[in-house]
Amino acid sequence: MMKSKLFGWIDERTGAEAIIKSQLTEYQVPKNLNYMWNFGSLALLVLTLQILTGIFLAMYYKPSAMMTYGSYTVAFDSVERIMRDVNFGWLIRYMHAVGASAFFVVVYMHIGRGLYYGSFKGPRELLWIIGVVILLIMQGAAFFGYLLPWGQMSFWGATVITNLFGAIPVLGDFVSQLLRGGFAVGDPTLNRFFSLHYLFPLLLAAIVGGHIHALHVVHSNNPTGLDVHEGKSTIPFHPYYTVKDAFGVGVFLTIYTYIVFFNPQMNGFFIEVDNYVPANNLQTPPHIAPVWYLTPWYTILRSFESKLLGVLMMGASLAILFVLPFLDRSKVRSARYRPVYRQMVFLFFVTVIVLGYCGHSAPTPTLKLIGQLATTYYFAFFLLLPLVNKFEKTKPLPEEI
Amino acid sequence: MTLKQLWMVATAALVISSPSMALANEGHVALKHADINTSDQEQVRRGLTVFTEVCMGCHSAKYVTYKGLLDYPEIAISREKVDELRGSKPLTSGMITDLSPEDATVSYGKVPPDLSLIVYGRRGGADYVYSVLTGFEHDPAGKIPDGNFNEYFPGNRIAMPDPLSWLDHDASDTADLEKQAQDVATFLAFISDPHQNERRALGFWVVGFLILLTVVLYLLKKEVWKDVKH
Amino acid sequence: MTDQTDQSRRNFLYVAAGGMGAVAAGAAVVPFLGSMLPAADTLAASKTEYDVATVQAGQLVVIQWQGKPVFVVNRTPEYLAEVDGHDDMLKDPDSKHIEAVSAEWMDTPEKRKYRAIKPEYLIVVASCTHLGCIPLFKPTKGRKDWGDSVPENWPGGWHCPCHGSLYDISARVIKGSPAPDNLHLMPYKYLTDTKVLIG
Repeated sequence: MMKSKLFGWIDERTGAEAIIKSQLTEYQVPKNLNYMWNFGSLALLVLTLQILTGIFLAMYYKPSAMMTYGSYTVAFDSVERIMRDVNFGWLIRYMHAVGASAFFVVVYMHIGRGLYYGSFKGPRELLWIIGVVILLIMQGAAFFGYLLPWGQMSFWGATVITNLFGAIPVLGDFVSQLLRGGFAVGDPTLNRFFSLHYLFPLLLAAIVGGHIHALHVVHSNNPTGLDVHEGKSTIPFHPYYTVKDAFGVGVFLTIYTYIVFFNPQMNGFFIEVDNYVPANNLQTPPHIAPVWYLTPWYTILRSFESKLLGVLMMGASLAILFVLPFLDRSKVRSARYRPVYRQMVFLFFVTVIVLGYCGHSAPTPTLKLIGQLATTYYFAFFLLLPLVNKFEKTKPLPEEI
Repeated sequence: MTLKQLWMVATAALVISSPSMALANEGHVALKHADINTSDQEQVRRGLTVFTEVCMGCHSAKYVTYKGLLDYPEIAISREKVDELRGSKPLTSGMITDLSPEDATVSYGKVPPDLSLIVYGRRGGADYVYSVLTGFEHDPAGKIPDGNFNEYFPGNRIAMPDPLSWLDHDASDTADLEKQAQDVATFLAFISDPHQNERRALGFWVVGFLILLTVVLYLLKKEVWKDVKH
Repeated sequence: MTDQTDQSRRNFLYVAAGGMGAVAAGAAVVPFLGSMLPAADTLAASKTEYDVATVQAGQLVVIQWQGKPVFVVNRTPEYLAEVDGHDDMLKDPDSKHIEAVSAEWMDTPEKRKYRAIKPEYLIVVASCTHLGCIPLFKPTKGRKDWGDSVPENWPGGWHCPCHGSLYDISARVIKGSPAPDNLHLMPYKYLTDTKVLIG
């Protein structure tokens, strides 16, 4: 293909050949990457799927909270129309709902890889920081999107979160009203959340471009954490990692489509039961919980008595991710060779799962205590990092990968 | 398997099984299991009959149109039957009850919810609907002297009076009533997601094809990576 | 030798993967494109029932079908008499030009001139076949009621105000009009004596 006349014509006008060479066929990648390195390309795939399905859903979805018969609304009706009357609407909707959760599964695995193998450490600090920005925008996009069906959970989840901003001193009420477009979550909120939900993923697409560019400057980390020298221990991205990523895509799509076609609600985790009930601003469901991928932060929020402190700590739990590259002082990157850090990281993963479980469940005193302990370790993990390298005896590093 | 792989598998197993664990500790009475099959046209049709003859006295199902009753292969009743059911309402109208919300509030204290999505909108789904319909009791402990006692409704006090005459049933009626409850639960499970059977049928082919494609991609990966010492 | 087999195995796998991938991509396009076709409720609105008995003698009503305007005319015996005697003025007196201007029930010369299942009720798409305006109903002969807007030998019918196309009382286009064809028919049938199902 590269030798064809047509390609030559395009190349003269775009420099395409040089790009393909520098980014694909001659771009060097460590040869020892394991399957934990597949999640980046999977995240890009899911982002594409979400944008694609989202655009087609937007051809029928109507962001209006105007009431219709049976306590439903125009928005809720439009979603049911997609599920029942639009050709393959049910498939596109289920793909989008499952895709949202799939996006977070993939990104959490991707972040976990970064934490474990020290991919956040120099010279990849900015790459990591851009990644944290991506995570925040994803959470925003998911939050805006969840309001759109205008079910009970949509409405009350949005009410709780917009009320959170009210805890900010001085500016709180102003920010809440700015978000809501009114004194309570209502039609203005729905309309603007639809606009923002459309915007954020497009922002994401641009920032992901920056993320990949930053990566290509410093090149990928690898499971040993060792710096890698081009030529000896590297291979070109194409065909080796294109083919490996393709296989990863195959595995992912198989699992994803199984869920889409056979259990899209995932027992109330991907589409919550209460969201099949139309929003009622005069009746809160007995049990409000955000969708599973936001539950860890919900627990952190609820661990504190003071509303303001809860909001600040929840913000801090995200903000602290930005400074991770500067907290960890160890010269060794990969947890493989860092016995103390390794245990800490595994415990951190377990902690996040525990935080998630607590956030999903009804708040009993026991769970609250567990949540508080988990919150403590969540922060301790980061705050202890500057000290770890002082006493950690790292294992001997191999000569080369 | 390395220790790390063990951790990953354990974590994955914990995460994947947590949906069912979370369901298990809901704190409610264990539901009865409804034997339903939304691709069984006979059962769905019997359920439609129960729905139109009993439930529509108070409940609507606005997302189910009379035209849908003709078009969905799982129902596919005749044009004559549909015309009988819809009366003067247009074919494209949803199935709306004649009971006005105002009258309902006076008689029952609340407006009977629309049933289009009831199976998806309640924890326990079709099992829950079936259990509630057959769960009316004569309130032995006198818990709800001024209302309807239902064993499976959370809080036991349900605004809906027994629709299937379950309370006055004798042994000989039981099988009939059980059947009616199961049938209407089937119908309601069907209308919550009318494309479900088509979805599962299509899914078989899609997932099957993707498994094959993944195998081919795996073989390709292994083949291409033969070049690399790793 | 091993190289050769490896290369051919490799090629086979590339082709197999590429082929299956293309099939997958093609299959994936189907639901997305399909979702853009009219939805079931839009299609349900593709049939309209109408009771022609509501139209008074000599009256024209405009109803909607598939979002388009449709004329239902109750033609009096006087109007019905106006279909004869001017075939030479018409571009397509037998409605044979294109499929859209005739119907399978037009099996006799009578049917072809009245262009209706029941001659008293003419049902045609009210879109001028030039550029789509709704023509004005001018059913009586001559210029008495219509002045100069119609030619002297006006047989009675429709006059389109946009670019001057003229049609007779069976909505057949008159020579000299910019419109190429008679007003279109749409599929319809009588469910009862007076109830029509259009579409």
